[in-house]
Amino acid sequence: MRGAPLVRYILRRLLQVVPVVLGVVILNFLLLQLAPGDLATVLAGEAGGAPKEYIDQLRQRFGQDQPVVIQLFNYLRNLLTLDLGYSFRQSAPVLDLLLDRLWPTLLLMVTTLVLSLGIGLLMGLLAALWVRTWKDHAISVAAIIFYATPLFWVGLMLILVFSIYLDWFPTSGMEDVVAFYEGWDRVVDIAHHLVLPSITLSLFYLALYARLMRASMLEQRGLEYVTTARAKGLTERQITLRHVLRNALLPIVTIAGVQVGGLLGGSVIVESVFAWPGLGQLAYQSLFARDFNLLLGIFFMSACLVVVVNLIVDVIYVLLDPRIRIG
Amino acid sequence: MLNKRRALSGALGLALAALIAGGPAAAQKAGGTLVQITQPEPPNLAPYISTSGPIGQVTAKVFDGLLEYDFDLKPQPSLAESFEVSADGKTITFKLRKNAKFHDGKPFTSADVQFTVMEVLKKNHPRGLSTFAEVTTVETPDPHTAIFKLQRPAPYLMTALSGYESPMLPKHIYGEGDIKTHPNANKPVGTGPFKFVEWRRGEFVRLDKNKDYWREGMPYLDRIVVRFIADSSTRTAALEKGEAHVAGFGAVPYNDVKKLAALPHLDVTTKGYEMISPIVELVLNTKLPPLDNQKVRQAISYAVDRKFMIDNVWFGFGKPAMAPISSNFAPTGYYIPGVDYTVADRIERANRLLDEAGFPKKADGFRFELIHDITPYGEEWQRAGEAVQQALAQVGIKATLRYEDVAKWLKRVYTDYDFAISSNFLYNLADPVLGVHRGFHSRLIRPGTVFVNGSRWSSPETDAFMDQATIETDQAKRGALYKNLIAKVTEASPVIYVLELTFPTIINTQFKNVITTPLGIYGNYATAYKE
Repeated sequence: MRGAPLVRYILRRLLQVVPVVLGVVILNFLLLQLAPGDLATVLAGEAGGAPKEYIDQLRQRFGQDQPVVIQLFNYLRNLLTLDLGYSFRQSAPVLDLLLDRLWPTLLLMVTTLVLSLGIGLLMGLLAALWVRTWKDHAISVAAIIFYATPLFWVGLMLILVFSIYLDWFPTSGMEDVVAFYEGWDRVVDIAHHLVLPSITLSLFYLALYARLMRASMLEQRGLEYVTTARAKGLTERQITLRHVLRNALLPIVTIAGVQVGGLLGGSVIVESVFAWPGLGQLAYQSLFARDFNLLLGIFFMSACLVVVVNLIVDVIYVLLDPRIRIG
Repeated sequence: MLNKRRALSGALGLALAALIAGGPAAAQKAGGTLVQITQPEPPNLAPYISTSGPIGQVTAKVFDGLLEYDFDLKPQPSLAESFEVSADGKTITFKLRKNAKFHDGKPFTSADVQFTVMEVLKKNHPRGLSTFAEVTTVETPDPHTAIFKLQRPAPYLMTALSGYESPMLPKHIYGEGDIKTHPNANKPVGTGPFKFVEWRRGEFVRLDKNKDYWREGMPYLDRIVVRFIADSSTRTAALEKGEAHVAGFGAVPYNDVKKLAALPHLDVTTKGYEMISPIVELVLNTKLPPLDNQKVRQAISYAVDRKFMIDNVWFGFGKPAMAPISSNFAPTGYYIPGVDYTVADRIERANRLLDEAGFPKKADGFRFELIHDITPYGEEWQRAGEAVQQALAQVGIKATLRYEDVAKWLKRVYTDYDFAISSNFLYNLADPVLGVHRGFHSRLIRPGTVFVNGSRWSSPETDAFMDQATIETDQAKRGALYKNLIAKVTEASPVIYVLELTFPTIINTQFKNVITTPLGIYGNYATAYKE
């Protein structure tokens, strides 16, 4: 099962990615055509007004004087060579803009994933062990409160308490722009800036994982294999850690994989509250500016990211549960 | 009026004046980093092809202009040491500073002026297209003399030569390749007091001190960092905590300003917008009944409660607008109040006008219904819309509010004309020719062009006043023309001038001399220092 077949499987899945991503790009392209107004008008609007000649000149430069089909064809042709086009609003190639934002986004996403999965799983596990005690209720109530509180509010409250009153963390940004640290100091500085945004974003997801983990654990514990294990003479500790936990993780992995897409969306709010320079904010700004080249680039990159993460999830399945066959 | 005008006071003179006035020179210590918040993040750093506000807040520190301006809007020397306007107003001679260098070390010369004006601003700058329309050539008899030759006099030109409005570019850099997609669009190189170092998108722009700046001993600051924070509450928090030091142009929500002003380490000023002069207005679609009726338009103007909107929507930051031209132009004589729509019996007058126009109140208390589009620039505009809605209801007009995004709204108002009343927000800029004429000149009824004559009202008489004022070099005669113009326009009321908006600029008290020109945070901060 391991080794060569796994590699073949991954390659085949990667091939399947192509039509999916292509579909996403074409659909997005057509959807964006429906938005009223265009980049030229927005640019002129930002400039506080401009003569008609100027706006026509802009449209011609953007290729918007061409029919939509031709525009789509040109876009796809360029995409084949990984040329994501030029953002006329930001006067820079789209790929450069995306790559600049990629690592802050990944930093925030991965930290959030680790934090929320780690703490969420632990909370769910403990709640399941302490089921129907006051500790279980306390964990469940906390999870529901985290889940129900709007992200922007949590973010602002954390800033108010931990930044303004206690002065433990900076309010926003990714690093100190007065000091401009270098080397290890910079790593520490960025980590310091990462604390509040990642906690804010994690609270929401850890609540989800905690609830799911608790339910999943309880369900697994009622199954027959647990009785068998107990009959075999295994201790409760062994049963929980080696059998129940492993099986209970499967639905969490599924949800976590699906949530990665959502994590990109949820981070728009956290990014804007904490001025974190991620992809979410870039997407938000370019939508309102009708900067379609940039927006399509972001969609393209997110689509790739989600597809890849789901592939990783499928591989993790196989590792967690040998019964699941690749094929 | 003098035929010859000469800018006499040099930077040295100003410094001396400061000394005499008792400003101890020792207090102006060198060093320190100033963090400015600019909202939103600029799309690029190319002020020569885009006039988007945030760009200027950054690039005005990197580029110098030929001139600067004092608070009376009078020209002061900058890259031009002096200038002379010929008797017929068609030749302007600039004597250029000899010790000015670009950030790459190359000297600034008249060839750069010629290139910037003729090749860049006149062809590509959204406002430069009209500002420099009359300039036929820029002659360069020697490296330190630039002579503008004009087809017709253009007095407004002299107000548009700041580093914000008309930045002087190095020909040897921007002259290479296509100016519209130039690689230096995001890496500006100028002669200004601060050098561009780095732009990390979504985070900040870093500008470091230009050690070879032509103004002796300036700038005092080591560095300016311009930060971008999308959330308004976080911007307030960053200022409160002292992580950021300067913010203007609505970067801080009006309802937070009072709270910040109360803090000992923050100052609030409304100075530094005199050359921008934003006016909040309501544009009426004069081709759409019943707004084609002048009486109906006047009635709406009477109905709008300007004072209420200033006090409750803009937290006192503004004053009632009495003309299309801002009262900031009072020192030049171009501002004369028009028809007074703020009289005590304005509601009775409005009701009477609507009755006369043939729109009596129906059984439900309303005369007619319309949709009020709101400028999509944020929360206060929505509240302003609600205030207008209430005011209209008082005189029997039922208004429904509509809020869309910027692109959709611009298309509705300036391309499709598919609106009845829309709020709006226009800058007067440095001269009425640049910022005011566009609102109601017949030549500027141009579908697809934004922030021009959206009401589609015009008259041959007012067109003529504007055409004369455009080429009139005598300030007093121009003033007389504007007096007539204002009277006619406020009477016809195609646009309702609601209020002259003032923006609060928040400044950390550690920093002094930050706002020193009528362009405020569009200034270059050469004189700013940290205590």
